[in-house]
Amino acid sequence: MKKFAEIILKLRTVIIVTTVLVTLILGYFIKDLKINPDISSYLPKSDPVVKLFNYIGEEYGGNQLAIVALETDDVFNKETIERINYLTQEFKKVEGVSYVMSLVNVLDIRTDEEGTLQISQLIDEYNLPETPQDIQKLKNYTLSKDMYRGRLVSNDSKATLIICRLSEGADKIKTASNLKEIVKKSTVKEKVYYSGLPFQMMDISEIILNDLKFLIPIVSILIIISLFVSFLSIEGVLLPILSVSISTIWTLGIMSILKISLTAVSDIIPVILIAVGSAYSIHVISRFNEELLSTDGDRGKQSVKALSDVSIPVFLAAITTIAGFITFVIGSYLSMIREFGVFSSLGIFFVLIISLTFVPSVLSLLPNRTKIKSINGDIVKKKKVELIMDKIGEWVLKNEKVIITTGIIVVIIMCFGIPKIERRVNMLDYFKPGSPIRLTEEMMEKKFGGSIPIQILVKGDIQNPKVLKEMKKMEDFLESQKDIQNPQSVADLIEEMSDVMGEGKDIPDSKDKVSNLWFLLEGEEIMSQLVNPDKTEAVIQAIITNVDTKQIRKMVKNIEEYIKEVNNSDFNFAQTGMPAIYQHLDDSIVRSQIQSILLAIILVFVCLVFMLRSFIGGLIGLVPIVFTILVILGLMGYTGIPLDIATVLVGSISIGIGIDYSIHFISRFRKEFDSTKDELKALDKTLETTGKAIIINILTVTIGFLVLVFAELVPLRRFGILIAITMISSGGAAIILLPGIILLTKASFAGDFSHFMNKIKQKIT
Amino acid sequence: MKKIILFCLMNVMVFAWQVWAQEKQFTGSQILEKVDDVVNAPRDQELKIKLILIDKDNKEKIRELQMLQKDSDKRLAKFLSPADHKGIGTLSLPYDIMYLYLPAFKKVRRIASHVKNTKFAGTDFTYEDMEAKRYSEKWIPELLKRDENHYILQLKPKKDVKTDYSKLIMWVRADNFYPTRIEHYDRAGKLYKVMTREKIEKVGEYWISKESEMEDLKAKHKTKMIIVDAKFDSKLSDEIFTERYLSR
Repeated sequence: MKKFAEIILKLRTVIIVTTVLVTLILGYFIKDLKINPDISSYLPKSDPVVKLFNYIGEEYGGNQLAIVALETDDVFNKETIERINYLTQEFKKVEGVSYVMSLVNVLDIRTDEEGTLQISQLIDEYNLPETPQDIQKLKNYTLSKDMYRGRLVSNDSKATLIICRLSEGADKIKTASNLKEIVKKSTVKEKVYYSGLPFQMMDISEIILNDLKFLIPIVSILIIISLFVSFLSIEGVLLPILSVSISTIWTLGIMSILKISLTAVSDIIPVILIAVGSAYSIHVISRFNEELLSTDGDRGKQSVKALSDVSIPVFLAAITTIAGFITFVIGSYLSMIREFGVFSSLGIFFVLIISLTFVPSVLSLLPNRTKIKSINGDIVKKKKVELIMDKIGEWVLKNEKVIITTGIIVVIIMCFGIPKIERRVNMLDYFKPGSPIRLTEEMMEKKFGGSIPIQILVKGDIQNPKVLKEMKKMEDFLESQKDIQNPQSVADLIEEMSDVMGEGKDIPDSKDKVSNLWFLLEGEEIMSQLVNPDKTEAVIQAIITNVDTKQIRKMVKNIEEYIKEVNNSDFNFAQTGMPAIYQHLDDSIVRSQIQSILLAIILVFVCLVFMLRSFIGGLIGLVPIVFTILVILGLMGYTGIPLDIATVLVGSISIGIGIDYSIHFISRFRKEFDSTKDELKALDKTLETTGKAIIINILTVTIGFLVLVFAELVPLRRFGILIAITMISSGGAAIILLPGIILLTKASFAGDFSHFMNKIKQKIT
Repeated sequence: MKKIILFCLMNVMVFAWQVWAQEKQFTGSQILEKVDDVVNAPRDQELKIKLILIDKDNKEKIRELQMLQKDSDKRLAKFLSPADHKGIGTLSLPYDIMYLYLPAFKKVRRIASHVKNTKFAGTDFTYEDMEAKRYSEKWIPELLKRDENHYILQLKPKKDVKTDYSKLIMWVRADNFYPTRIEHYDRAGKLYKVMTREKIEKVGEYWISKESEMEDLKAKHKTKMIIVDAKFDSKLSDEIFTERYLSR
């Protein structure tokens, strides 16, 4: 290690220049980095639910709805109808929109007073109703039909919808913002709501950007201040920040070059690097300071000594963390999780390299002026910090039994919280109550039953009356479910047609009659959204209310059971839609994360056993990790923070942080123990040195992440809180629990049994 | 003598000028009138038509129908195939009156045909495209240019005309005034549908296109209309264009 340190410090100029160059080059590539916020695209294309979902999207004109709702005293007035017509026509021209449906162009089947059959748009777009009588007539007619009431116009006729179906593969966010632009440019006087996933996605991206713009500066300033307070030197502030920034730039740059876009999971890589990676340089700096303080002499020699001492634990910590993150690559169902594993490992590898090359190079180059300043600073500081650490150490070393008992009690309490954890897949949860999206969805729920589409694919001879009747039954079943509204299929249109032919609102009993009626519907725009051209497949569309995940799960299961029951050789039902997709995605993420975390713990354990050459040592090293994961899960259960795509990632971060604390603490302890042969003295010294670095790390990262509590987006807030808890819990476990356990086990893992025996002998004599 | 020569010369010049002027003089409106005359020339016609519907994956569907037309505004169509369309008939009469016969129900119903942009029987022809109106009734033409063999007209809708198109660009053969290509632009001004007429032949004394095609560029769907058999001026009786005949 001494050799390694010598080489590094010899090449320090080369290292600094290379680092800067590589950073500039990779930084240039970040401009091409793409962000993929479309959650539905995260599942592998081969997934059966996704396959069906995409299939319906391709064959039936898309499966995402962007809904614009207009609200006024009574939508049946001349101006509003004109505006609906205008927006309908304009929306049709937007790229990415395959169909638009509104009061004006919805298919209407009826007979007029003279018995003339009329299959047309509800309102003739070239001949909008003008007189109050015409408008009143239209209103009465529209509200009298189930096909429109509660679907396109609310029961109280105060709100109406313009529903845009987005074509498969369309850029949802871009299309949504184009639609919004059209509304904003128009003369709309009604209250406008934007509903449906494309608009929500657009808002989420905006909110995330706003949050980041507002929060990143605050987080940075707080981290800088707490680093400065800790080190009282410029390099103590700059180097941790630089090392994290450089490695983030390298990681993102390489992602960009490999054309891998940032997902909802991989976008926390910078966060992981801040939380885990800043510690590496903090340990290096702190060791350098220690060396400069304790010995007088040549800065070069001191540097070599400091670096060769600190590089082993830093290296081991990083390698173990990487091992932990690599588990995400193994056997994960979702490519985004694999990417996350690869690039967070890579990022940590970069922080490691930079902390052991660039950081010491800069430190060794610093003029003595800084040294004196930092000594002076640290002398003042030392007393305070040392006092605190002394007090902690004193207390810890006297009360190991109390500590361990408390620890066990905390673990037990937390274990009881775990079953209380909620699972939520509802995107609405991302928004604060009272935010425009929440208000929109509340309105949609109240007046139209919701905004999320679900689909049932029917396979069979669709013109066969039996199949149509079965579809009708399915619709009745769907409607009987509490949270499903407005099921619709070609069967409804056939019933309407039968009605206007004077045969009653029912599916005709012969196939001939069905195909005769079908003739009139052929070529209608809506048909391509409901049936395939060969008439061997059809889709039942419905809307679900935004309900909580438990209910959605139940609903999906109920439909599944119903389908199992009725499917036979004549026809076959299959369900898909956003709820199924989202739930499936969430399940996969949570499942693969939990699997990976378990695997990571095992792998970390193996690493620790190998490093410490002790089974018990490995178990002790795991304490901060397992303790923290239990605390987080327990608190999530008690506080109602749900397990979702964002929060499940905290587990992996706590592994990264936990290992580092363990390794630094234990390796320092062993080193001190080797020289003093006294666990109390060794622990005291470890707490004073490594303990201090850990405290600095906790302080810095915790304060930084607590700022996220002010984020607009709810998941970001929860994420901030959970990271803060993770830091405090794993740090606390390392500083308080670890020494307690080490004392209790009499440091047996250190392997020095002779010492152990000596100690007993001493006590006896 | 000189006078005579001068007179003759003047005559020739006047004549030449007249010829030149006549050639040059065709205005857009005149060309369109001639187009209408050529297309609507037969007094009645009896056609057997094969419609080939071609979707975006090049899958074809075929339907056959018999079409009887008298003057420019009476038309009876009966589907011969496919089996599930067989016997379905439509009857169009002046003033946008349209009847429908559904054999499975054995009922004739009047249907409103005022919805122009509804596609006819799954084809790319809307009811508007199928209507037997003269172009000059609906459109204001403007002669854009003349190339070697064609006049190219731009047609813009007259005021108060209800149409799904913002304009048409029509290629008209200079020799017989038969339209060979019509581009339909949607209301956003984007090219939306293209109709091409091929196999323009003289049957008896009339020009007809035996194969025409309408392509919907947005839906990537097209319809070929092939005239399998055509008879003209067979003095179709008015009896044929009645509800009673429709349900037979």
